[in-house]
Amino acid sequence: MGAFSINYLVRRLLVFFLTLWVAATLIFIIPRLAPGDPISAMVARLSQQAGFVENADKIIEGWKERFGLNDPVYVQYLRFMTGLLGGDLGYSMARFPSTVTELVGRALPWTIGLVGIATFIFFTVGNLCGALLAWNRTPRMVKVLIPMSMIFTSIPPLLAGLLLSYIFAFLLKWFPQTYSYGFGVQPGLTLDFIANVIHHGTLPAMAIVLVTFGYWALGMRGMMVTIEGEDYMILAQAKGLKPFYVLYRYMIRNAILPQMTALAVSIGTLVNGVVLVEVIFNYNGMGTLIVTALREQDFGLIQGTSFILIVTSAFAVLIIDLCYPLIDPRISLEGR
Amino acid sequence: MEMQTENGSERVVLKVEKLRIHYATPQGDVIAVSDISFNLYEGETLGLVGESGCGKSTTAYGILQLVQPPGYIVNGSIEVDGTEVLDLSEEELRKFRWTGLSLIPQGAMNSLNPTMRVKDQIIDVIESHEGKQESKEAMRDRIYELFQNVGLPNRIYNMYPHELSGGMKQRVCIAMGVALHPTVVIADEATSALDVVVQRIVAQTLVKVKDEIGVSLIVIGHDMGLLAQIVDRIAVMYAGKMVEIAPVENIYAEPLHPYTRLLIDSIPSIKERKPLKITEGITHDPRNPPSGCIFRLRCPFAWEHCVEVEPEPIDAEHKHEVACHLYDERFEERRANAFATFANS
Amino acid sequence: MAEDTKVKDAPVAGGTKKAGTLNRFDNPWLNWKFLTGAGILGFLFFLIFLGYQLWDTNLALSARAPLNLPPLGFTNWRDQEGVPEHPLGTENSGRDMLALWIVGTPRTIFVGVVAATVGMLAGILLGFMAGFLGGLFDDVIRLAVDITITIPSLLVLIVIQAVLGRVDLLTMALLISLFSWATPTRFIRAQVLSMRESGYVQMARLSGVPVRDIMFKEIMPNLLPYLGASYIGNMQGAIISAVGLEVLGFGPQRIPSLGVAIFFSIEAGALFRNMWWWWGIPTVTLSVVFVALLLINLGLDEIANPRLRKAS
Repeated sequence: MGAFSINYLVRRLLVFFLTLWVAATLIFIIPRLAPGDPISAMVARLSQQAGFVENADKIIEGWKERFGLNDPVYVQYLRFMTGLLGGDLGYSMARFPSTVTELVGRALPWTIGLVGIATFIFFTVGNLCGALLAWNRTPRMVKVLIPMSMIFTSIPPLLAGLLLSYIFAFLLKWFPQTYSYGFGVQPGLTLDFIANVIHHGTLPAMAIVLVTFGYWALGMRGMMVTIEGEDYMILAQAKGLKPFYVLYRYMIRNAILPQMTALAVSIGTLVNGVVLVEVIFNYNGMGTLIVTALREQDFGLIQGTSFILIVTSAFAVLIIDLCYPLIDPRISLEGR
Repeated sequence: MEMQTENGSERVVLKVEKLRIHYATPQGDVIAVSDISFNLYEGETLGLVGESGCGKSTTAYGILQLVQPPGYIVNGSIEVDGTEVLDLSEEELRKFRWTGLSLIPQGAMNSLNPTMRVKDQIIDVIESHEGKQESKEAMRDRIYELFQNVGLPNRIYNMYPHELSGGMKQRVCIAMGVALHPTVVIADEATSALDVVVQRIVAQTLVKVKDEIGVSLIVIGHDMGLLAQIVDRIAVMYAGKMVEIAPVENIYAEPLHPYTRLLIDSIPSIKERKPLKITEGITHDPRNPPSGCIFRLRCPFAWEHCVEVEPEPIDAEHKHEVACHLYDERFEERRANAFATFANS
Repeated sequence: MAEDTKVKDAPVAGGTKKAGTLNRFDNPWLNWKFLTGAGILGFLFFLIFLGYQLWDTNLALSARAPLNLPPLGFTNWRDQEGVPEHPLGTENSGRDMLALWIVGTPRTIFVGVVAATVGMLAGILLGFMAGFLGGLFDDVIRLAVDITITIPSLLVLIVIQAVLGRVDLLTMALLISLFSWATPTRFIRAQVLSMRESGYVQMARLSGVPVRDIMFKEIMPNLLPYLGASYIGNMQGAIISAVGLEVLGFGPQRIPSLGVAIFFSIEAGALFRNMWWWWGIPTVTLSVVFVALLLINLGLDEIANPRLRKAS
């Protein structure tokens, strides 16, 4: 396969690290940009709630210290950044002994699993549907059925989640309404547990897939139509190749390239959606963690969770970008 | 044994009869190809010329059954070695393609699949028609041989199309076109996109390969000078009609049809400067062709008869036909007068 | 792969056959997707307008109605029946759902329109400049776009709002527009780049037409349907962000928008109490808005790109 162009590689890595830096800096700066003195305002807000937090004073003190309120801003910034580099995201204020890293470490795999499986499904199903929509040998029935299945396209996953939760969990009781696994099962690599996780994950994943795959189908259909007009398609027809071979080796193979680029671009939006879907299903992932942190005014945890999710998204984009030269032989020469 | 004449065998490998192709538009059908008939003999190279829009490419795509909608074949018969192409079922047609008729496309730049290696694009056509090949080495040697035929280096075997130059891509297309030793190869403006020097080399390659492999060839082009060097006969098209088909030496020495005369006169010459005679393209509405002769609106010799009667192809000589009333025996006198006046003007 | 050539019975030679199926020669704006989408939105606005005329919108404030009433014709878990005074029911702080719908729907769309417009204007400016000026400027813009698109906007907005607390809708819209410029910029830059290489723009440049004139007289008109589609897409994105933030509790709470209503309903466990009207009415309304926007978007796409029309 095409060799990596150094340019391409460097550019992708540059974007990745710059994204991390920008995200970290934003998260550092935002609290300091707020009108008035945001830190004391936040401390005040925290103190109001401290009534039910046992060691509130200690937390506030630790929190104040963490931000080194009396140090110059650049010292605070350097300390913050070196902390991040060492993987130190500080303590959760509301659940003091727990570090943010611990809490995030527990939640992140669930979110990655949910997004990963949902993405796999909608990308495969969507592109397949789009290809079938554009192919002139697709049975008429299929060409009618696919658009009908796409009516949920463009509805935010959050809303789809609400509807699915109500219909399939509350009314029909086919699936559990909340959490990523039942309380009764012991986590581990047992068949029971895996079945349980799938049972719990179906609705959240469906909420994402149902509203998303149509976009991919439409994009794929558009690409296929463009490719049908290419000169090499006429030659493929003249060559008397088998129709199915032409479909996957000439049409889908070429149409999938822009779809991969589009996938990298859509990761950010996808994560936005997943965070909210998790909230609807109370799924034990990063979205739910953020909402819990919001409710508990646990600013350190909000910062840490957001940052790690941004890092994860950027990493996913990087992976896709680095895989791209493997499927497009032209990338090694042209760069992007 | 077939009797061999100067212009090749007498055996007809491709017989096109009354081929008519329309393009559907909301304002009515555009007549792209209008009841064309001609024969292609075994081992022959036939050049198909005419100005742009005259239907020469459409004719080629019609023969190949590749007319893209909204175009469609209205009527006609296309026989390759006795097989009526229009009667083939879809699967039969698929199998017939490339073994009976193959194409060397216009714009080879974009005619190769950008995500497939050169070798895979040749292998896929071989395996689609001959089944999965057991020996990888045999396949590789076979492709190397094809490369050698068209003058390509073996190192491009594993390359992607974007790594090749335009001339190389065109050669790949030629190698691919003859890979299955088809009965007839159609080269559609195969050299137009290349620069002049490469054009000549590729054209020579084409002829060389054709002779080596022994296929019959139809070359479509608008460069009369280039075609003169590589073809045996030339068919001249005007507005969807074939107006003259003649051995190449005849047509340059003594073009018969008035349109052919214009065309030959318009070939630029380095030796003398002369004004171009062709100043306009096809002038009539392609949906409503004029009655009688298709060329009469631009013909300097047209008279009433040309308005009333459509000229049928007249045998001027062996393998030389012209569709013009001037060559009707009844109008011999008129012909002599017309050409005399024309020469004096 | 196009269909194999069809051989049809020969009509009279030279006869004219009308190609009835070739609707791509018709007026492209008579596109059913575009018209349906626009029609749905138009009807929605008409209903809202009617609502403002005929219904007391003050009922959208809390404690103006009995609590937790179901819509007319239904019963809630306490066996209370819906009453004509509150045909769409009420929620648990005594807001009338119909009034909430009338007030909340335009508020939600307002956020989308503002954020999309600001983002689009910035996108047009940056996209054109990056595409046309090239060089370092282009590099910087491209990098900024890549980074902004990679970062899930909701997460940064959450951090911002965690600091600011609840904000009014205009502020929320402006915050969202901090992220809504990137996609249009990326899109317009790519379009401008491809147009810049096209023959007619090259001709204009060679003949000495000023850059500004080329941008706005040559390129812009050709881009209009694409810009329309991009704008609608941007609006969808902005509304999704707004609803997301509202559902997380960041919206204005005195007069709720649709997202805030959903937030309240989730907080109150409406999903478990079968108060479907509470979250269901906003959800269905928003879904209808999104489907309408998608239809407009697809319609504009087909208007801009005749090839897609052929395939549909």
